Amino acid sequence: MLFNSIEFLLFLPTVFFLYWFVFKNQLRAQNVLLLVASYIFYGWWDWRFLSLIIASTFLDYFIAIQLGKTDVSKKRKFLLGISLVGNLGMLGFFKYYNFFVTSWIEAWSSVGITMEASTLNIILPVGISFYTFQTLSYTIDVYRKEMQPTKSFIDFAAFVTFFPQLVAGPIERASHLLPQFYKNRTFDYQNAVDGVKLIIWGMFKKVVVADNCAFFVNKIFENPEAYSSGELFVGMVFFAFQIYGDFSGYSDMAIGISKLFGFDLMVNFKFPYFSRDIAEFWRRWHISLSTWFRDYIYIPLGGSKGSQWFQIRNVMIIFLVSGFWHGANWTYVAWGLFHALLFLPLLLFNLNRSHLITKSYGWLDFAKIGVTFLVVCIGWVFFRADSISDAFQYLAHMFELKSLGLSLFYKTNANLMIFGLSVLAVGILSLQELFWVIKKRDLPKISAFGALLLVLLIFFMGSFKNQMDFIYFQF
Amino acid sequence: MKQFLVFIGKILLVLLLSAFALDFIYTTVFAQSETRNKVENVINSKPHNYDVIILGTSRANNHFVSELFEKEGLKTFNYGMSGAHLFETSLLLKLMIERNWKIKNIIVETDLNLSNEKRDDGTFGRFMPFMHQSETITEHFKKEPDFTELYYVPFYRYIQFDAKVGFRAWYKTLLNEPTNTLANNGYYPLGFNPKANMKNNIESLVPLRNRYFEEIKQICKANNINLIAVTTPMCSNVKGMDYFKKVKALYPEIKEYEHVVEGDQYFSSCGHLNDKGARLYTTKIIEDLFKK
Repeated sequence: MLFNSIEFLLFLPTVFFLYWFVFKNQLRAQNVLLLVASYIFYGWWDWRFLSLIIASTFLDYFIAIQLGKTDVSKKRKFLLGISLVGNLGMLGFFKYYNFFVTSWIEAWSSVGITMEASTLNIILPVGISFYTFQTLSYTIDVYRKEMQPTKSFIDFAAFVTFFPQLVAGPIERASHLLPQFYKNRTFDYQNAVDGVKLIIWGMFKKVVVADNCAFFVNKIFENPEAYSSGELFVGMVFFAFQIYGDFSGYSDMAIGISKLFGFDLMVNFKFPYFSRDIAEFWRRWHISLSTWFRDYIYIPLGGSKGSQWFQIRNVMIIFLVSGFWHGANWTYVAWGLFHALLFLPLLLFNLNRSHLITKSYGWLDFAKIGVTFLVVCIGWVFFRADSISDAFQYLAHMFELKSLGLSLFYKTNANLMIFGLSVLAVGILSLQELFWVIKKRDLPKISAFGALLLVLLIFFMGSFKNQMDFIYFQF
Repeated sequence: MKQFLVFIGKILLVLLLSAFALDFIYTTVFAQSETRNKVENVINSKPHNYDVIILGTSRANNHFVSELFEKEGLKTFNYGMSGAHLFETSLLLKLMIERNWKIKNIIVETDLNLSNEKRDDGTFGRFMPFMHQSETITEHFKKEPDFTELYYVPFYRYIQFDAKVGFRAWYKTLLNEPTNTLANNGYYPLGFNPKANMKNNIESLVPLRNRYFEEIKQICKANNINLIAVTTPMCSNVKGMDYFKKVKALYPEIKEYEHVVEGDQYFSSCGHLNDKGARLYTTKIIEDLFKK
């Protein structure tokens, strides 16, 4: 079920009504309702894959209980191993099996050895990377004795499947979200209104910004040779806004919907296109994933301690894994590598903390923002292209600067209309976020009038005809 | 909670009122215009008398030279619309009848478009402003899967078809900015294009006993209109030309004119004659069907 679908428009008020009117002040019933609603929400795509979530939930619930019962180091490691193998095994099979098989065959064929192996027709379960990481964080935290295992299966299952963030995050930590299922929740007017405003803002980013930009992005990336350097440049910038509007829009809606039910989710994006260097970009982009990698991989590997070679190794690992997390394609690995190469000089010259989010902006910073945005955009070409060679061809053609014509955008009435809407939407988004960045806000803050205006913009500027799935669902 | 429900109610109310207001403003403006496209030209028209009306897709629009009919003393207008399917062609004819047009002959291009009974969104969108204005349009669209939301949700139809009846079209209509759609009595001449792709593959197309062509036949019969159904030419390098034989087998009354103009110098693209070719084609049609 998509947040921007008619079904969800009926689903959300129904769950809201049952939650606050029928099961008001009944904590257990509310949690059961959330669990059932989440299963319906997920099963709407393909009910068969519910079995994977349920299996993952059972596995980690019982592993954590067993971890809570023993202090024997070997046994604890063994139990953690079962959880890791079980969860990452499912993720690996459904997401990476075909990739490894074809890469293996290609690797051998490159040295002249022909091999045959069959790939499987595997459907990628929606959101598997998100809920796998969320449930793993629980087992690892219990293993580290940073939290107690929960005894309530319902609470744990509701935490794993919590529908607002189930399929595209934010990837919540058990230590932050799970305890919220234990406490009585009372309706808070201001919290709910803030939630509605966030939903509206997220919807604006998705339907107005992302889906309008997607119209041209899909055309241009499908056949880049057919377009001029100018059109390729605009296509690249539009993709940057498409993926940002799409993904952060989903996160905003997830946080907003959670607020309607009295839950608080972590902030996932802090206006990343106003970053002054790549290190700051990663403090502002997909925060729930980057902090997950930091806490569960980077720091256990030694982080930025140790020799320079260790630091370089750790940074490379973290960025490559992050790229690979996004999908079973070398383009994502190349994207991760590209960011690692941009990040390493900052780390080696000890400049990676020179632009903390809390630091105020000077005039020169706006030039840095422009440069950072441009290199991030170049990285997105690897992320969006079908293959690494396609990405290089796209960039080579773009930098040839042979023709700067933009005729694609005014070739037909429809193109001109959508181009105008896209530029206007990107302009509104950028100016609004600039205002929040200057005001040093973490989350959008929208007035009642602003919310009404946004609703009208969604209604009149939204791309309902070219409605797209959320990009991050495929991860 | 009550306060929150009031907040949500206010948002919904503003949304609904805006939708009603904008729907009214858009519809009012489109209802005044009859010069920007052929759909509104028919819908907002007064009764006309025509000797010949031409209907079909761009292969009608670019192939029948109205001027040549007029020279023979036949009052003619070409209502062929680029991209249109027989779904919209049939509706346009129904609207002409609804507006009491008196038509002696209708020439309808019936070839590749027989293979499709679906709507063409680009042309379909142009009818949207008039959904509530005409019983004929309502009836024609009733079986479409999105009819309910298009008909009952205010302004939804303008959002869904914004490329055709969105802000830009509305603004230009308001300024009464003319287009060249109605020039040359509806005929749109094409030039010679030396870079055109002069090949086509229509092997996958299968002509249907098309319900909208059947509708057109019934309407003509009921209104005493002489219906002339014809095929139109294709360039020399087409795979699957036996499609036209299938058309003939299915509808023996359709007159075969796909071979009357041959030679790629007469084409602008594989499926469209240039002006020179269109004149040859129209002359042949007039000689065969109006002079004999």
